[in-house]
Parts: sequence; C-alpha cells; structure tokens
Amino acid sequence: MGGVGALPRRSGELIFHDQWERRAFALGVALHEQGEFIWDDFREYLIASISANGDISEMLDSSGPGYYEHWLAALEKILIKKGLITSSKDLAL
Amino acid sequence: MADKHQHDVPPNPYLEKRRTATETEALEERVQQLENLLTEKGVVSKKTLDRVVSIYENDLGPLNGAKVVARAWIDAAYRQRLLADATKAIKELGFGGLQGEHMVVVENTATVHNIVACTLCSCYPWPVLGLPPAWYKNPPYRSRIAIDPRGVLIEFGLELDDSIEVRVWDSSAEIRYLVLPERPQGTEGFSEEELAALVTRDSMIGVARVNSSS
Repeated sequence: MGGVGALPRRSGELIFHDQWERRAFALGVALHEQGEFIWDDFREYLIASISANGDISEMLDSSGPGYYEHWLAALEKILIKKGLITSSKDLAL
Repeated sequence: MADKHQHDVPPNPYLEKRRTATETEALEERVQQLENLLTEKGVVSKKTLDRVVSIYENDLGPLNGAKVVARAWIDAAYRQRLLADATKAIKELGFGGLQGEHMVVVENTATVHNIVACTLCSCYPWPVLGLPPAWYKNPPYRSRIAIDPRGVLIEFGLELDDSIEVRVWDSSAEIRYLVLPERPQGTEGFSEEELAALVTRDSMIGVARVNSSS
C-alpha cells in the first residue's frame, strides 16, 4: 500500500483520502472554532448541498459529488455569506 | 472522458477510486487557493489548520468512547452519571468539545438495541468517536436505517431477535448520541483497559455488538 499504509488509521480506515479533503475539513473546523460562523449555519448549507445534488456519491461508478465536495461547497457558501471571500470567482474555478 | 488509473495516486483502501486524477487535481487547487486566500488575509493561520488536521487524525478516535464504555461497565455510579448527563460524565474522562457539546448516551440491554444515524448529513460525536466512516455518511445507511433498521443490521452481520426493541436515534442539529453497548459475557474480572480494548466503534454506533474477544 506504500504511502497510504503510512497514514494514521482509526478503526482500520483512513480518515481523509485526499489532501484537499484534509485541508477543507481543517478550514471548516478552524473557522468555526474562531467564531466565523456557527455550526448550525454551516450544517444547513451542508444539508442543502447534499439534497440538492442527489445526495452523496462515494460509490463505485458514480459521477456525483462525494461527501467532502459537499463540505467544500458549503464552506465556500458560508464564507461568501460572511464576507470572508467575495465569490467563488476568487478561487478562479 | 475515460481517465485511466493514475499510477502516481495512492489507491483508495476502502473503496474504488471514484474521482479522476484531473478532478482530484482541480479540487486540490481549489482548496489550496481558498486556504491561501484566507491565510494571506490573516483570517486563519496555517499553523492552526495543521493543528486541526493533527487533532482529528491522531487525538480523536473511538478509543476515547471505548474508555467511556469500559468505565460505565466497571463503575455503576459512573454509568448512572453517564445516562443522566452524558456530556458531563464524558468530560470527567477528559473528552469533549466540538460536536460533543450535547451528548446523550443510550444504553443497550437484553430487550433494547439502539442505533445512531444522521439521516440528513453526517452528525457524529467527534470527541468520543473521531470522524465518521464513509458508510455512515452514505445514502444506503442514512436513508434506510430509520425505515428498515433490522435489515440494515443484518447487512452488518447482526441479526436481532424479534423480542428485542430497536430504537434509531437520528441526530438533531444539537444532540450527539453514543451507544453504550452491552458488556459481553465472559469478561468478569477484566480490567478497565482490557474491557476498553474490546469496544469497537461500530458497537458504539449500534451496528455491532461487543464480543468478549476483540
């Protein structure tokens, strides 16, 4: 398994599969802990993203967004709402 | 568009690679830019972000919850406190914080089996269990657990007798649940550490029982 085998595991699973998931998660948690937004507001955006995009597709043969894509989308939305970023265009998508 | 497996990307150990390498790169770029933007503006520091990653990858995990369960099995008074005010009792062992501010512990007995889910997203008691597994966040579990809990449990290898009442706890915006599984037979005389070693994450979610040998 190479590099993957070196990563820490809890209950035999990786917590984060890709680096971006790790960083997106950390941004959400850190900004919340700093008081930039309350968890319920973030959670609402998360739920909205999940239900708007046909739920989560961490499945084989799926082209839909996975869990952390919803997390990232919710994070961007709430940061725009709070004026911390001006728009998704800031991110040159 | 058929991107083949990219040999420089590590294989996913628990499910088939779902995103193409191009998609993953785009996401890496997007998050990197977001992080740069916010750190450059001074909104958050890279050190803080690194620390968050470290906490969630190293410090938090089901071993915390296992200790709570083992303590409740050994100490009847602690068990009572845990059932009466879980947040406070869990804090006695030094665990608490984000996503564990409002804990409720639900106890399995000979006649009641509890299961926890978050049907809308992924709410989970981070301080005692760490981050949830992928299956907990996915539709096959979330959408079916409240409708057909016994059927879902069978898929996890747990078949419950009809005489056992099944209770599904759907995490609300605030409350986070932890299942206190039944102490297995044949563990009389086990130390608290030995008991904690038997307690699995899945038993604290409620999709498994604890066995006397882990």
